[in-house]
Amino acid sequence: MKTKKITTVLVAIIIATGFTSQIMAQELSGREIVEKVYNLPTGDDQTSDLTMTLINKSGKKRIRKIKQFTKDMDNMEKSIMFFQSPADVKNTSFMNWTYDDDSKSDDQWIYLPALKKTKRISSDSKSDYFMGSDFTYDDLGDRKLDDDTHKLIGTETIDGVDYYLVESTPKDEEYMYSKTKTWIRKDIFIGLKKEFYDEDEELLKILHIKKFEEISGLMIITKSEMHNVQKNHKTTMVLSDIEINTGMSDSKFTERMMMRGM
Amino acid sequence: MKTKGFLIAIILLTTSQFIMAQGVDINGFARNYTGILYENGEFNMLQNTLNLNFEKMGDRVAFKANPMLYLYGIDSLDFRLREIYLDLYFDNFDIRVGKQQIVWGKADGVFITDIVSPLNLTEFLLPDFDEIRIGVYAAKIDYYFGNSTIELIWKPVYAGNEFPGPGSIWYKPPEFPAPPTFDYSKEKINPSLENSEVYLKYSLSSSAIDFDLMGAYTWDQTPSMYVEKEFGFDTVTNQPGLTGLLITPEHHRLNVVGGSFTSTIKSFVVRGEIAYYNGKYFQTTDPFAEGALSQNDYLHYVVGVDYGVGHLKLSAQFIQKYIMDYNDLIDEEEFGNTMTFLARYDAMRETLHLELFSYVGLNYGDALIRPKVTYDFSDSFSIILGSNIFVGDERGMFGRYDDNSMIYTKIKYYF
Repeated sequence: MKTKKITTVLVAIIIATGFTSQIMAQELSGREIVEKVYNLPTGDDQTSDLTMTLINKSGKKRIRKIKQFTKDMDNMEKSIMFFQSPADVKNTSFMNWTYDDDSKSDDQWIYLPALKKTKRISSDSKSDYFMGSDFTYDDLGDRKLDDDTHKLIGTETIDGVDYYLVESTPKDEEYMYSKTKTWIRKDIFIGLKKEFYDEDEELLKILHIKKFEEISGLMIITKSEMHNVQKNHKTTMVLSDIEINTGMSDSKFTERMMMRGM
Repeated sequence: MKTKGFLIAIILLTTSQFIMAQGVDINGFARNYTGILYENGEFNMLQNTLNLNFEKMGDRVAFKANPMLYLYGIDSLDFRLREIYLDLYFDNFDIRVGKQQIVWGKADGVFITDIVSPLNLTEFLLPDFDEIRIGVYAAKIDYYFGNSTIELIWKPVYAGNEFPGPGSIWYKPPEFPAPPTFDYSKEKINPSLENSEVYLKYSLSSSAIDFDLMGAYTWDQTPSMYVEKEFGFDTVTNQPGLTGLLITPEHHRLNVVGGSFTSTIKSFVVRGEIAYYNGKYFQTTDPFAEGALSQNDYLHYVVGVDYGVGHLKLSAQFIQKYIMDYNDLIDEEEFGNTMTFLARYDAMRETLHLELFSYVGLNYGDALIRPKVTYDFSDSFSIILGSNIFVGDERGMFGRYDDNSMIYTKIKYYF
């Protein structure tokens, strides 16, 4: 099983791990801790159903359902999503190819069933919000390890569990966040809480991992919630029907499948 | 008409119940579309639409049927079966047989290599593009290898573009120097092997670029008007002269080759599309031209760029049609230049969408400007407020409709 960066929407909240050896905090830098999170094994391929619930400040909900597939290939990771609801985006599909070479941008296509057309789209807008949710593409895993400077700023024990507290500052001063703080479990290197600060260094959003479980020997986060504290709206993401290492065919990740559907 | 509409509704209802029992997926939308002309405040559009998609997909076979009902005013019902086809899936190739819409090319809002499905232009270019295209009866085979696809289409039944007729606000009668008589005997193309159309396309999707190359042996989807002049004694002027015109709409074969590409350069998506048309007949005023027609090849191409920053998406395209071996008697410009612009802004967590799309005719300085605001009340229900504004020189293809500028609302429910 290969290890790889978490680079796509599909695997973004599927941060899996074996129970790694215990390493003393003082032996690890902030970058090394985050690198361990990024390099956690995620399996060769994954299939899952994603339910995303957008909740506005008055509690009104909008639900998006997506079937998604990911596969790790020689020098890239391919993923494909099929939108199932709401009805106006049904049968829309989205394909992403992410390259191991950090200097190479992702390739992305979207298939619009009403137009019967597959369009190539730019992958540069990492700060865009995904389907109107509180998650940006970067939040979902598109961000590269060395896009930020990572600093270990302390440790904390919450409910008897030890965490590293890592502050990550973007190298690009124009980036939408001035910094993030991540609480990473020392034993399994999963980030279970993350705070996002806006350009004025005010707290903007908080990500909470609500649930993770072991599937096919990997620890998979199955429920998370992003709360925009400034606008007081939230998005929850729930993964279900997760299958890992099923031997998915490479041909799943083609324009043919985008147009045909699941 | 009321009886016909009632029968269609009953058939659809009973069919839907039966089909749902078979596990067929049904989705679609219902829409109310109301438009008012700026010129005189008249309702030029009172339309209710029901669009149904029946779909069933298996591992090796699938089918789709897409009936669409348009109710104009109180009881003018228009039923269209836009698509109904079967898919057969094999390891390396797929076959689709039946009435289907086929979309080619990379350009938006213009039709360069996208020539398989003809267009319903009875409301000019205003309907959504999926409603402008007419389904064609065809067999389509897609063969896949690596990231490449070869697509072969056989179209045994001719279908042409549809144009507005007298009585429509989109009908602009041509001016004739003498009273015309029309002979429609050659307009119809009978389905036969000899009259079939064939289209072939190779396409590649790669990390650097997507491109395709196409060729077609087809019919011109717009008939040429073969004109015979009738001379006699003019009773008004008491002089011999032109007394009438016999006009025979006639289709001609076209040979088309072309291609298109799209690629990304940082935040930009660039695309282009080009086609060379051989065998086109243009109207001419050349007195020696047979039938007042001139056969000239022409080149049609587009280059475009998309750019996105945050919630704002921008797009621009330049389109040119160049008629070869041109002379001034041809009833069209040698170079026909058009641009399109699109700006779209999504707000309120993608529930509010502001859009401005426009065609600009550069030859005559005319334009169609299409602002619209869409608000999604919920995941399945949206309301659109928009306008179609025609401006500029009346010789241009947009300026000629300056009396048809309108404001409209669309209320749409998806299910």
